[in-house]
Formats: sequence, structure tokens, C-alpha cells
Amino acid sequence: MTFWQILGIALLTILIAFITGLFYMGIRRKVIARVQNRYGPPVYQNFLDVMKLWSKDSNIHHGIMQHLAPLWMISMSIATLLFVPIAYKSHFWTNFTFNGDLILLLYLMVFGSLGFALGVGQTGNPNSAIGVSRGLTQLVGYELPWVIALIAVMIQYKTTSLTDLVAFQQQHHTWIAFQQPFAFLAAFLLIPAMFHYSPYDVIVAPAELASGPISEFGGKYLGLMMSSSSIFMFAKLALFVDIFLGGAQNWLWMIIKTLTLYMWPVLWSAISPRYRTEQSIWSVWKWPLILSVLGLIIASV
Amino acid sequence: MNTLVLLLLIFFGGGLLTYLAYKISKVVGDILIAILGLAGAYVFFTVSSQTSLTFSLGGFTLGLGFSEYSWIFGLLLSILAPLALIYSIPYMKGHDRLEWFYMLFLFVIGGMFGILMAKDWVTLFIFWEIMTWSSYLIILYSRKKGLDKIGLKYIFFSAIGAYSLLTAIVVIGGTMRTLSIAETISLFGVLPLKAQLLIGILLITGFGVKAAVMPLHVWAPDAYTNTPMSFSAIFSGAMSKMGIYGLGLVVVNMYLNHGIGSVGHWLAWFGAFTALFGTFYAVVQDDARKLLAWSSVAQLGYIVTGIGIGTKLAVFAALYLALLHGLFKGTLFMAIGAVERQAGTTKFSELRALIRKMPYTFLSALIAIIALAGIPPLAGFVGKWMLYESLITSGHYWVVIFLFFASTAGFLYSYRFLFGVFLGQEEDDYKDVKEAPALMTLPMLLLALVLIVLGTLPGFIFKPLAYSMQGLGFTDISYHMSVLTNSWGNSVSLPYISWTLATVFVLFLIVITWVNHKGTHNVSTKDIHTAGEPPSEEDNYHFALDFYKPFMRSIAPVFKYSITRIYNAIGRGIEDFFEYVRRFYTGNAQTYALYVIIFFAILLLLANQIF
Repeated sequence: MTFWQILGIALLTILIAFITGLFYMGIRRKVIARVQNRYGPPVYQNFLDVMKLWSKDSNIHHGIMQHLAPLWMISMSIATLLFVPIAYKSHFWTNFTFNGDLILLLYLMVFGSLGFALGVGQTGNPNSAIGVSRGLTQLVGYELPWVIALIAVMIQYKTTSLTDLVAFQQQHHTWIAFQQPFAFLAAFLLIPAMFHYSPYDVIVAPAELASGPISEFGGKYLGLMMSSSSIFMFAKLALFVDIFLGGAQNWLWMIIKTLTLYMWPVLWSAISPRYRTEQSIWSVWKWPLILSVLGLIIASV
Repeated sequence: MNTLVLLLLIFFGGGLLTYLAYKISKVVGDILIAILGLAGAYVFFTVSSQTSLTFSLGGFTLGLGFSEYSWIFGLLLSILAPLALIYSIPYMKGHDRLEWFYMLFLFVIGGMFGILMAKDWVTLFIFWEIMTWSSYLIILYSRKKGLDKIGLKYIFFSAIGAYSLLTAIVVIGGTMRTLSIAETISLFGVLPLKAQLLIGILLITGFGVKAAVMPLHVWAPDAYTNTPMSFSAIFSGAMSKMGIYGLGLVVVNMYLNHGIGSVGHWLAWFGAFTALFGTFYAVVQDDARKLLAWSSVAQLGYIVTGIGIGTKLAVFAALYLALLHGLFKGTLFMAIGAVERQAGTTKFSELRALIRKMPYTFLSALIAIIALAGIPPLAGFVGKWMLYESLITSGHYWVVIFLFFASTAGFLYSYRFLFGVFLGQEEDDYKDVKEAPALMTLPMLLLALVLIVLGTLPGFIFKPLAYSMQGLGFTDISYHMSVLTNSWGNSVSLPYISWTLATVFVLFLIVITWVNHKGTHNVSTKDIHTAGEPPSEEDNYHFALDFYKPFMRSIAPVFKYSITRIYNAIGRGIEDFFEYVRRFYTGNAQTYALYVIIFFAILLLLANQIF
């Protein structure tokens, strides 16, 4: 493929992920509203929000790092998306999937949040700094069982490459979720924490931290944040589907699987009150940790 | 003249010369140390691995000359030393007794070069002691309160290391009838297992003290914190690598190449614990220097783990990380030194929002921190990737979990460092702080540039690394300019990462700056959303105390047992013991001579028992 073809496909991938992600967010708002017996906004509400934010007249920032803050997020989201396999059968949608592996993705996925945290730090808002402190603490919390689960998968299939995992599942018509159920369950339980949805919403904690890290962001900055988090959300879901749920043959399957998977943290968040920070850590260090360690023991013998 | 002798002369002769120069005039001294540093680096690059020098002493042949393996450490030293010396000129301006400081500084560097070029144990030991004692005197140099205790702790642990080394050398000389390092390594296989273990463990203890392996790390955080920062850059950046150099010799060359892997695996566990607990302690510090010191201990843990595992990729990763740690920790100590000089403190509870005042220092600290945290696309990621993949593919996944956990917790102190010093709400106390002079920022920025380049093109450093791997007995080391591959055949292509990130970043930077740039404006850090209660002029809402309280609450049980506490308990016991022992110190030289004879008699008896 020529450079321009690769670029075109990458842009198309980003666009589809962006639109899908925004729709997912809209669906989430609708679902939570229905659970709470409200009518809720239309599913395309987030498109309107992003457009509104980009067209705001006045935008303020507190310095260069805050100006750059959403850029770390958007570059990380797009890079992550391009390294995650979307459609197995098609050579069209490979993007950069053959040039990265799981360890890379693990580290790449914190690039954005840490860069964003620096921008948050410059705002001078104490609530934002508290949010960052909680967020990093939580990251340490769920990263431990998540990494153990991933290592269990890696050593069971003797590969660290995502494309190899997807190819294995597609060729053997199976899901790693069935072959390595403990690691899958551990990772599955971690999804709400990784999405920072309730009960793990200690970072934004609207009632105590006034949205925490994002409280000083508005206008185009918040618009770019929303765009990037929609892409990143889709990339994270696709990553999970690739590792545990057999990957996908084409975009349609990928959307079906990710949307179904997405309902789990959404529904769980609709009925859960918030943890305290240390509770949120202890909760991921309980069952998810036990299950992932079991998975690792099973994979290693 | 032999270039090796010239190199030693530059630092030892130059050290004495510096003493005189500073006595004459400070300007002359400043110029002299910059020239000496650069000349040393230049001479090092002219030394080839064939250059050597032998002389005999008391029936043993002693020699000097860089080996393939030691060359890479020399490379680190000759990058870091001149930069630290140049940085030191403005940093130390206004201090008194500079002649002592710089003389000792040059002696330490000379001692390290001496260790690296030593071909036999005796030469190594002599230079080792020169390095140790000079650095001990530098700790005492600033004459702050409480330094005597810190110095004592340092010299006590160094003495444990030195005695272990010396005993090991005696045993080596006794059993193998040689003092040459190369011959020791090749003859090591024929020794009985008992002797192998004895020699190895003694050497590991000796080198482990300098590499700050738990439980021998206790001296490190205080010592790294309490020397002038220009020296800390060398102390933590290069001197700790002398320990790593020795551990590599013992674990890989002696044990692994003769089929004993278990000692290395034990060491790897020690390294993993060091990494984890070093990180935890770094997270809770209030002093930025202390944070960096504990983080050094943690980072050395990763390196020790890599050496201990001993597979090709693991050792490669460890050597890479050793080099890299020198570069980024050198940068960070220099950055915090600049902050200390300009703002007068290094405490997180006092510092805040220096980013506008010291933008270049912030930039270099930011790059060094990203490299430290191991986040792509900078150089640290390359090392972390290789280390993790080598551990996973060789089946050490419990160790890798420890390291992963440690490096995720490492994000906490990485952020704390940048936030506490450079970000947060601005404070009038620091209104007049200026950027550090160019001679201080330039070395930092140069090192930061290296970290950026190596993130995409690590091949530049892989070439000399592959060369020095041969000195450890590894053959056919394949490497690629910008692609990393593990032993399962999975690979990562670095340019894809860095180019994607950089392109998207720059593209959106243009977009976000361009869109509605007329309506975009900068407001002060006091102009914030705090639910209708904006801070007044004298209020400051900067969040600095107990920054990671939730984290500390979560891991509180671990902190109940600290190693320092255990040592203190032992120390109290030992104090009582020494009160008793003091009676032996009669002050009579003949009694002491008797003790020495008794000691050697016991040693001989024991030696007969063991072998």
C-alpha cells in the first residue's frame, strides 16, 4: 500500500471510531436515564455537545501545559486505536497493528493521562490536583490485576502480539475468554474501574471534587477532550474484544461486540454509589487479583 | 605516553592541580575543571580496547586496560562527567573550600575510570577505595548539621562492601593463584561449589553495596541527597553503575557462564524488592532530592533484576537501563540543583509553580521524567520493553509482576516531582525567581536531547552495547536501529509510535491554537473555579501536603516494617556489644599487631576448613 492509502485508511478508522464512540456515550446517557426512570437526551446529544464546545466564543487557559493538555490525550487515543486490530479478515484495516504489542499498548495508554495530568496541575485548582492524586492511585490499583491477567494470556499463547492472539482465536473458532476464564473474569471485573465509571468515579466525583481534573477545561479544550475520549473508549473496548472475545472479522462484528461489552460498565455504574479511593483499590485487589493470579498459575503449569 | 596513564593522570594529577588553581584564583580553577572534564572524555574516546599496560608487583602481574564489557560504563562516565563538571561551575559559585570539592570530585571520576580499566582485583580494589573515600569526604564537605551520621552510615556500609571485596580477593588469590580478573573468570568453573559460592557471595555483597541492592541500600537515599547536586548527578548516575559493573562480572561471567543460574535468580528477586520498596518510599517523600534518591534505588533494582536473570535480552536491557539511568537521573539531579540554587529550597511543601520562571529546567526535567517513567516515545520505554519481554519470555513472570507494579507506582512520584516543583498555584514568594544560567541549563538540555533521540533510534546505543555484551560471553547479538524483538519473535517498531504521536500532537497543536485564537486568553492560577469562593490574594490553594494520602492508606500495612527500623534494632544491640569490645582497644600498638596476627591465623584456619 502506498503512503496515501495508509493515511486514508488511518483517517477513516479514526473517523469511524470517533463517531461510534460518541454514539456509545449517547447510548450510555440514554440507558442511565432509563434506569433512573428519566427520558434522557437523544443519542446524538454528544455530537451537539462537541460542536457547541468547539464553537464557544471565549476560551481560557492557565498556561502552556494546560494549552497542551488535551493534545497528549488525543495523540495517545489515536495512536492506541491504530495499534489495535479491528477487522481480522481484511488486509485493508491493518493500520499499524503489526508494529506493536501488548506491552507497548499498556505503556502507551498512560501517555495521555499523564500528559493531561500535567496540564491539570498547571491550572492551580486544588480539586483538580486531588483528582489527579486519586486517579494515579487508582491506576496503580487496577493495573496490577490487569497486568497479571495479560501476562497469563501472553504465556499461555507464547506471544505478546495482539494480532497473533486475534489470529489464534479466529483460526480455532474460539474465544480466549473460554480458554483462560480466570484471566478473562479478572479483566472483566476491572472494566468499570478502567472506565472510571461509578462506583470507581473517584476522580471526577462531581459531588465532592466538582469534576476534578476537567473542572478548569472548557470550550475547545473540553471539545478536544470529548473527541479524544470517544476515540479512546472505542480503542479500549476493541482491545478487550481482541484479547478475550475473539476479535472481529469486520467492523460490524466489532461494533456489535464492543457495544454489548460496553453495556456492562454502563449498567453497573447506573446502580452503584461511589467508593472511597482506598475502597476502590481494595476492591480491585480482591476478586480481580485473586482470579488473575489463579489464571497465571493455571497458565504457567 | 600510554593513553590509560594519561587518562588517570588527567583526573588524579588534574585533581591536585585543581587544588592549586583554586588557591590561586577561582576563575582559573573553573576553567581548569571544565578543560579537565572535556579532556578526560576526549582521551577516553581515543583509548582502544587493545591499549593496555602491565606491571608486576610481588609476584603477581597487575594490569590496566579497558575490556569490551567495561567500555560501555566508561562511555556513560565520559558523557556524564564533563557535563556535571561544567554544570558545577555556576552551581557551586559562592561556596567556600571549592579546592577540596573539585579535587575530590576529580578523584572520584578518576577512581571510577581506574575501576573500569583494572585488569586485576588488587588494582580494582585500590581504585574502589579511592572512589569510596573521596565520595565520603564530599558528603562531609557541606558541613551541614547531621551530616556526620549520614557519612557514618555511608562509610559503614562501604566498609562492609570493602571487607567483603577484600576477603573475596584473598580467597581468589589463595585458591586460584591469580589475581587477574579474566583468569579468575575462566578458572572459576574448576573450583569446588563451596568456593564458588563463597567468592561469589562476597563479591556480590561488595558490589551490591554500591549498587544499593536491598538490604544494603540504607546509605543511599541520605547520601545522594546530601551532596551538592552536581556531584549527586555523578554519585547516583555513574557511581552506582560501578556496582552494576561488578555484579555483571560476577553473576553473568562467573556464575551464568559456568552453568550456575540460581544465584542470579536470587539476586533478581532482591532487585525486584528493591524496585518495589524504593518506589514506595519515593512516593512519600516531601523533599524532591530525596524523592530522586529513592527513585535511584528503585531504578537500580530494575537493573539488578535484569543482570540477575541473565538471558541475552535481560542483560542487554539491564545495561541499556544502566546507561539510561545515568542520563536521566543525571538530568533530574541537575534540574533539582538548578531549582535549589534559584528558589532556595527543594521541598514540595514550599515550592510551587516554577514553570514560567524556569522553563528550560522544566523542559529538561519533563523529558527526563518521561524517560524515567518508561513512557513511549522516549528512551526509557525501550529499556522497560526489553526488560519485561525478556522476563516474560524466559518464564520469570512473578518477578515481572513486581517490576510492573513498581513502575506503575513510579508514575506517582514522577508526577509528584513535576507537579510539586513546577506546577500548581503561583505564589508571590517565588515572583523573582530567574532561570538558571546557561552553563547549567545547557548540560540538562543536551542530556534531554539524547533521551529523545534514543527513544526512536536506540540503535545508536545498541551498537556499543552489543559490543560490550561480547565481554560478558554473549555471542551473535542482533539488534536493529529502531525495531525491538523478543525471543518469541514479537516486535515493536519505534518510529511508528513516535511519528504517530508527534504528527497527531503537532497537527492538533496547530488546530487548537488556531481555532478562535482571538477568544483564547491566559488567566492567572488564582482565577479558578472553586464553587463561588475564589482564593484571595494571600490565599494559596496549592495541594502539596500528603499528596498521595489515598495511596498511602491503601498500602499502609507494608510500611509497618521498614528496613531502617530493623537495622536500628540491630544497631542498638551492636552498640552494647561494642561497649564491651572497646576494652580491647588498649591504645598500645603491640596489642593491635597481635590482633592482626590473630585475625590472619583465624583466616588461615578457616581457609583450610573451607577448601
